[in-house]
Amino acid sequence: MSGAGELRARQPKAIHSALTVLEEVARCGAGVTAQEVSAGLDMPRATTYRLLNLLVQDEYLVRMPDLRGFALGRKVVELAHLVAAAPPPLAAREVMGRLRSSVRGGVHLVRYEGERIRIVDADPDFPLSDEQRIVRQIDTSAIGRLLLHELVRTGFDWSGLVERPKADAAALVADVDRLGYARQLGELTAGYGCLVVPIRDADGGLVAGLSLSAPCVRVEQPAALLDLMLDGSRQLQPLLV
Amino acid sequence: MTALERAISNPPRVRGLESRSPVDGLQRRSVGFVDVFAQSVSAVAPSAAATTIPLIVTVTAGGATMWSLAIAMLLSLLVATTVNVFAKRIAATGSLYTFVSKGLGTGAAFVTGVALLIGYGFIAMFALAGAGYYLSILLHRFWSGMPSSTLVVSVLVVCMAAICLIVLIRGIRLSTRVTLLVESASVAIILVLVGVLLSQLGPTPEWAVLGLDASPENLAVGSVLAVTAFVGFESSSTLGVEARRPFASIPRALVWTVIGAGLLFLITSYSQLAGFAAMGEDITATRTPINDLALASGVEWMGLLLDLSVAASFLACAIASITAFSRVVFSMGREGVLPSRLGITHRRFSTPHVAIITALVIVTPVSVLTLVLTGGAWAAMQVLIVVAAAGYITAYVLVCVAAPVFLWRIGELTMWPLVRAVIAGVLLSIALVVYLVVESAGDRGVGVWVFLVAMVLGIATWALRHRRRPWLSSTVGVYDETVSADVLGGPPAEHR
Repeated sequence: MSGAGELRARQPKAIHSALTVLEEVARCGAGVTAQEVSAGLDMPRATTYRLLNLLVQDEYLVRMPDLRGFALGRKVVELAHLVAAAPPPLAAREVMGRLRSSVRGGVHLVRYEGERIRIVDADPDFPLSDEQRIVRQIDTSAIGRLLLHELVRTGFDWSGLVERPKADAAALVADVDRLGYARQLGELTAGYGCLVVPIRDADGGLVAGLSLSAPCVRVEQPAALLDLMLDGSRQLQPLLV
Repeated sequence: MTALERAISNPPRVRGLESRSPVDGLQRRSVGFVDVFAQSVSAVAPSAAATTIPLIVTVTAGGATMWSLAIAMLLSLLVATTVNVFAKRIAATGSLYTFVSKGLGTGAAFVTGVALLIGYGFIAMFALAGAGYYLSILLHRFWSGMPSSTLVVSVLVVCMAAICLIVLIRGIRLSTRVTLLVESASVAIILVLVGVLLSQLGPTPEWAVLGLDASPENLAVGSVLAVTAFVGFESSSTLGVEARRPFASIPRALVWTVIGAGLLFLITSYSQLAGFAAMGEDITATRTPINDLALASGVEWMGLLLDLSVAASFLACAIASITAFSRVVFSMGREGVLPSRLGITHRRFSTPHVAIITALVIVTPVSVLTLVLTGGAWAAMQVLIVVAAAGYITAYVLVCVAAPVFLWRIGELTMWPLVRAVIAGVLLSIALVVYLVVESAGDRGVGVWVFLVAMVLGIATWALRHRRRPWLSSTVGVYDETVSADVLGGPPAEHR
């Protein structure tokens, strides 16, 4: 997979260590001490302390008022580009533009990387209702349900990623299996639903999803809309895989 | 990277943070590295020290001046890196006073605070007297019929104090920029003069000057005297609140001030000693060695320029020292150690104006009084520098003890900081005792007594105040704590 992973692999070791320390502070939460970071990462103490102090100097980390604990600083948002996905290629954006002009509703493009969802091209005219919930609770949205289906299919442990009981989640997965696409009706916004068609690589692995948000009626009986979406996904497939 | 990414896209709320810092009111994060560096450099007053210290050290250390200076530079570097243990972790206005409170608690912090205020206060008086002295020398060149020097110097001191007041209240940016400009100009003048001298001496080094021709105790005393040339380098740590990226800029400023000043002292000492050796004269016989050298080299006009630059350097030193003094007093005002009025800031200029005015109201009359009592500027300066140096070194010793304790308390103690702090602490303690003993027997002995009396009075005042206000133990040590606007996902910074 291109993008963030590769970029990090090419970075010098120091930056990589610094990002590892930041990751550990993010994982443990505000108030984690230098000793805990050192133990958690199995990194020599002097090295860890030096890195922590460098990150404090650059304000990526801040010390809590007890002077022992650390928290992520405001400046960490500047690292977002290091951890965020690259925008889709121009040809893919053109396909998205054509779809948006021929469909009444929000058309979004997401990528799937492991158990993560990256929203790479959201419809500017129809913003996603709750991006955080969509990305984090994968049984809530159609975008998430497609991923859930994929995780079940590949035998991934998905138990921590869903809100509802396991049996209900399994029913959602069966729905995706039956239809060949994922859908959600009125759960995020009353009266509106969403359907997502998969974009798969040559081996059948899920790489992306083309999502349509529209009133519930049209999501339940998509008819010609579904053909339009499937056609779009076929055009996007060679551009994204 | 998942946890970090999640934190960026949906930051968790951080508990236990206030929305305002306890030292709110100053121009938070407003001055850059150059200004921070200027604060430390000016407090050291390298050009003023470069013209006087080689002579003072040579009188004692004899043939080992260069060695004494090098030892003093290394010792100061050890202290600077030890102070940086704190400066990398705490953004404060109280400098060593606040730092020691975090390691050793309230009592030790107050002893440090008194010592530091003595250091900053007396160095400010020294600098004002010095500026007055060199300006009066300059005036004398143009107007030989000038009346009694003490009166003239006193008037000049008051004028200088007025300049300090205006510059200091108008804002931290203005005062650091003025001091930087003044100090750079005077260092440049010294370097040009040294260049001229060295070029006249020729390319062969004067090996005798670099020799180690002194007894161990003379070398020790010489090194201690040379340490006094470096004191003040820690003063940028009073700008913890006002500096941008304080945890990076202040530690860097401390280390580079010591290195820069040390190199300047070594170069100027060498050129002065080699210059006198080449002339076949004794440097200890004069009071203004660089002027004599300028005269001998046929560049007397440079001596004139030098007097001006040294006066300017002293003025910069006074501004920087009063900046540091007022920031420490400001901290104490915020804590309730001193009256709370001292902890307020000017609404428009965001400077601790009450603390600044108080500082000048104490410093100016005392320096004038010292001038009158000692009967001359040079004599007054000699006494004042002893008091100041003793104050600084006392504070340095305490900070060296506090640093490893602090690191241990926050669970970050490692070997090298401990080793550095122990070496610096032991050497400085010896240095302090040696210094006090040597000086108390000399012409400037009154300085030692003034220092001791001031320490005792300061500590007694603290003890009385602490008895009446036992809650002080929990307020001492205010610093610029992380506020909710500093963390990821916090509310936007309040406009102040």
